[in-house]
Amino acid sequence: MTENLLRAPAEVKYAEELDYLESIDTGAKPFTWRLSPRMVRMFVLGSERADGIDRQIPQKWFGDRSFVERAIVTLASDRGLLLIGDPGTGKSWLAELLAAAICRNSTLVVQGTAGTTEDHIKYSWNVAMVIARGQSRDSLIPSPIMTAMEQGVVGRFEELTRSTSDVQDALISILSEKYVSIPELDDDNIVFAKPGFSIIATANSRDRGVNDLSSALKRRFNFVRIPVVTNKASEAEIVRFRTVELLKRHQIELDVPPTLLDILLQSFADLRTAAASATSDDEKLESALSTAEQIGVLEDAILHSQFFGDAQLRAHTLAGSLVGSLARRSPEDLAILNKYWHGVVEPRSKADGGEWPEFLAGGREAIATLS
Amino acid sequence: MTVFDPLRDQLLEAAAEFAGGPGDLDGILAGMVTDVDRALREPLEIFPVCHHSPASALAMARRLREKRPHVIYLELCEDLRPLLDELRNCRLPVAVQAFASDVDGFPPDWSPLSVVAPITEASAEYQAIAYALDTPGVELVCVDRSTDHVFQWSPRGSSAADADADADAEEDAEGKDLHGDAVGVEIGDLRPRFSQLEAYLLHHGKVRHWSEWWDQYVEQPLASADADYETYRQVMVLIGSLFRRLAPGDPSRVTVDEDRERFMWTRMRQHLAASGADASQALYVCGAFHAASYVPEFGLAGSDWEISPRTGTRWLYGLIPSSHSAIEAQFGLASGSVSIAAATWAKAVTRTGVKPFQLQGQAGTRKRAVVKATVAPPVAVAEPVTDKLTKFLASPPRLDGIDEAELLGWSVEIVRLARRHGYLSSTADAIAVFETSILLAGMRNRARPTPYDFADAAVTCIEKDTVPGRRDIRRLCEIMLGGDRIGQVGYNALPPLARDVYDRLQPLGVNVEARTIQRALLDLKAQPELGPCSDLLWVLRRLMPPDVVRPIMGERTLGRKSIQESWDLAIGRSQRYLIELGYEGVTVEQVLEQRLRREVWTPTATAAAALAAVEDSLLYLRSRRFTDELGARAVELLAAERTVDEAPEVLQRIRRLLAYYRSGERGGLPAWCEDFVRTGYAHYCTLLPTAFVEDESGVRQVAAMLGFLFGMENLALSLGCDRAQLEIAVQQSHPESPAKVALLWAAHHQLGLLPIARLRERVDELLGNPMVLPAMPQYISGFLQALVPVPSLTSFVVEILSKAFAQLPDPVLLPWLPQLITTLKDQAPELVPVLVREAGRTFPGTLAALDTWTPPWSPAEAAPTTSATGPRAGGPMAELLVGHPDATDAVAALLGVTGSWSALGTDGTDDIGSPVADLIGRHPDTAEAVADLLSV
Repeated sequence: MTENLLRAPAEVKYAEELDYLESIDTGAKPFTWRLSPRMVRMFVLGSERADGIDRQIPQKWFGDRSFVERAIVTLASDRGLLLIGDPGTGKSWLAELLAAAICRNSTLVVQGTAGTTEDHIKYSWNVAMVIARGQSRDSLIPSPIMTAMEQGVVGRFEELTRSTSDVQDALISILSEKYVSIPELDDDNIVFAKPGFSIIATANSRDRGVNDLSSALKRRFNFVRIPVVTNKASEAEIVRFRTVELLKRHQIELDVPPTLLDILLQSFADLRTAAASATSDDEKLESALSTAEQIGVLEDAILHSQFFGDAQLRAHTLAGSLVGSLARRSPEDLAILNKYWHGVVEPRSKADGGEWPEFLAGGREAIATLS
Repeated sequence: MTVFDPLRDQLLEAAAEFAGGPGDLDGILAGMVTDVDRALREPLEIFPVCHHSPASALAMARRLREKRPHVIYLELCEDLRPLLDELRNCRLPVAVQAFASDVDGFPPDWSPLSVVAPITEASAEYQAIAYALDTPGVELVCVDRSTDHVFQWSPRGSSAADADADADAEEDAEGKDLHGDAVGVEIGDLRPRFSQLEAYLLHHGKVRHWSEWWDQYVEQPLASADADYETYRQVMVLIGSLFRRLAPGDPSRVTVDEDRERFMWTRMRQHLAASGADASQALYVCGAFHAASYVPEFGLAGSDWEISPRTGTRWLYGLIPSSHSAIEAQFGLASGSVSIAAATWAKAVTRTGVKPFQLQGQAGTRKRAVVKATVAPPVAVAEPVTDKLTKFLASPPRLDGIDEAELLGWSVEIVRLARRHGYLSSTADAIAVFETSILLAGMRNRARPTPYDFADAAVTCIEKDTVPGRRDIRRLCEIMLGGDRIGQVGYNALPPLARDVYDRLQPLGVNVEARTIQRALLDLKAQPELGPCSDLLWVLRRLMPPDVVRPIMGERTLGRKSIQESWDLAIGRSQRYLIELGYEGVTVEQVLEQRLRREVWTPTATAAAALAAVEDSLLYLRSRRFTDELGARAVELLAAERTVDEAPEVLQRIRRLLAYYRSGERGGLPAWCEDFVRTGYAHYCTLLPTAFVEDESGVRQVAAMLGFLFGMENLALSLGCDRAQLEIAVQQSHPESPAKVALLWAAHHQLGLLPIARLRERVDELLGNPMVLPAMPQYISGFLQALVPVPSLTSFVVEILSKAFAQLPDPVLLPWLPQLITTLKDQAPELVPVLVREAGRTFPGTLAALDTWTPPWSPAEAAPTTSATGPRAGGPMAELLVGHPDATDAVAALLGVTGSWSALGTDGTDDIGSPVADLIGRHPDTAEAVADLLSV
């Protein structure tokens, strides 16, 4: 099935692994969970030799173990889970993995936007059917959240803080009373949540202040803050993991040389340090410089070399992609990149050699083209 | 054949199976068993401990009650022993400190040397100390290398402070910097020496910190009520041996460790031989790491080792307050771990019913019924060693059951604390925290949530997107689970200086020992008896860091004394500084005197620094003899100086001192002052020509030199200096930079060589010459500086500033303005008031008047004032001169002036035509009223 999908949800992609884990799971399972909390953790963070299982479970989300533990425990309690962090820190990926591991369904998602209405959270009506047969449970279109309640599984709410406050507040009663009433119907007008229902929401910490959560809603969520990965080793691991996945998806056979990966990681680390010491917004790049962004740069470079190059990833292309992805504002971002290229990359290419001189030339060219 | 052979065989089999053949692993495993075997067979009983381990403390208390030894050997620097007697006067934790500021035999840049060994109540060493000091007939011997050896053995080339384990840079909590930058030594340091092992243990133990791992896998099984002493000993030695054999770490550290073991065993053998004590009645308390030692000197039968002599450094000893957070920061422990250990100890004491030892009268503790321990009668045979390890290693870790009451208490308490710190938390949160803690602990394979699990749960449930107050939930958890405990050194254990300070501050009626900031109010007029307190506070302020003793109201400068003062005193929380002052002398005055003397006699001392010392001596010490000594040194320093960099400061200070000595009844100028002026006059005259030319000496410096020369001229001449020297020096000066040229012109003017009209002409020429216009700002800067030596030029400076603003083109004027502003800002006290006053006199006061105003220096206005004849004089003085012209004629002839006598006003008053007469003529009322009043 996975080959027909551009991007298979986690429960489909890792179906076999989940089946295996379920088969060996002897631990106590809360509510209707398919896996016990420890197995969920193993699914997300990968197995170790000490776990004593006879196949290797790869790590899928990279970050501190305690974050995952806290997230799992929250889902086992009666509070919702809110993953909060900078863009590109893997919040949605973690949410998807958790939902897939706990209930084998990560697709019950509401995307929070400025245009999200209460109907998207509760239910709406099939108008034609209402005209034909009147209001009934048949003509009702349940929202993903309502479906999750009915099935006793995990519902997801992406970018909670992008939706307006009144829409957010519709979650309050769902999270505390655990039912939705349908006043339009005379009977069968309450949908109760089955055991196992919970909500994983994500929120972007850069959006703070756009639509702040009310304290009533905050109280019903446990917050788990996911920091930007700054550890170079684990970041390299994430980038490698995601790139392999991408290459597989695009069916591209291309090698990412470790030296180039190092150059990419080093440049991002440098630019992050520069952003941290900047005093005004004009002195730092608009980009959050997250790990996701690095993967984006690498993907761009890979695709470029595959279709317009000689099917070999080169430092020149990588530099072009880096500049292209990060230069969003002209002239501010370009000026910063120019400064970086001449102040850091140039001395480094002289001192270290390797792929750096080519990287330097590629970046210069790209900056010149964009300026 | 020993009792451990079966275990050894079992381990070797395991090694063969897992490592797939003979290799390092079997060596390590077998070696560990050998170490345990050797340590246990040693006739002198070795008690292995680990720092901040309640299990060690508990085992120690039990063992001491059981064995009641006669001699206790402690792994602590041998020269710190006398300080331990003072522990009972302190509130723990405190640290025993050795301190040396005069180093001899060490690199001078290591100075001051400082070693601290913190002592907490929940530690095995405290149990041993308390038992030994309060039981008659028991001797406590510290056997570790002396503090001198700590530095002797630390590698040269690196600074001594680098030897310190982990000085955490984070210093947000107030208690963290209590140890300053001292090197920490601790009893029973036990931690893997390579990070991979530690990371591995933490990862698989599903714990975050080393302390947590230790607590779960060693502490709890050993602290349980049924764990016996033999098991404790064997396990501890085994762990020490494991860490030692697996990876000894940094070779230099290993050398030091082995030398320490040689040292300790040599000292113990020496002591046993000298005192004739029975080795079976002794107990050797050392870290588990050292218990598993394999140096040849190990054991009573070991070979002797030659101990190197100490260096000539003079060490001073004292107790300083410590805190849990300071200990954690210094030894790289997880934040809160020492507090948690203390809490665990308290719990273990109640649970197991063990009666711990406590020093009699220990400050800051509840009074416990003292159980008098006595020394045991000698028991001949020690019980045979049995293998307890096999059982311990084979059984899974016995985990604590959940303590529901404790967890509930924590959950409720953290919610209460969070609410107090601005979180919107409620009972629902307490329930959630409770539930989440249990779930988290379950995920981490334990039934009982550790304090760290609890903290994680609390953060998950209560922490939202922002922290409303000053502290976040994690910090609140730390506070709740023990909090920081800050020790205090009791009065009797303080050095004489600190006691003296406490005594002398008594009349203020504030509690100087309090940990909060105390406000002291001194009304010196109503209560003159508080005068000495005020003096003392000012000296303390001079000697200690700025926020320890801080005046809120009142000042002490030369010639000024406050009537009322108010002070913020933080002596209680900064005891360390006071105690370290105590290493320098017996009274604060003595310390200040020494410090001033040192400042003045260092090879890098300058005249300005010496004058500053004189000022301090006058303000704080009031010893004429000492002040004169410092002054004499200032004269010497000035004469020897080859640069004029500090001339501005010298000028400022000597002016202030002269003003001080001249005012009031201070017996006139002291001899050194006169000397200083005389020397300075000659000195600056000599340096003036070079200073004018050299680029290194700035305009300000030259201006200050001129200020000294002109300002002190009267005094200097009266003391026998020669003005010709100054005139020649000025003549010899040929500056090139415009600013200095301007300064030279000002000097010429002051010496009467350049009249103001000529000076004005020169400046006007410059302003008219487009070639030099860009340099004009520099000239003006020179003139600005000239205000210091030649204050009479003020009106002229205002004039040229006005002209500059009027005439200079913007490209010249604008770049110069920032510099002008910074100059004026830097030297505001000297320059701004005179300039503003003069400007106020020159310019009109209202906007309307500005339209008709013409500057006084414009040619049209200047004419009448420079009339050749001058105003016609009148009055009795004129009459006298006209009546007897001979003397005036003679003076005129002498000066080469030719002139004629003008006729005197007819009625002996001013000319009728003069403006004044005109005014009075038109408005006679005032004059008539005055005349009436005077009955004229």
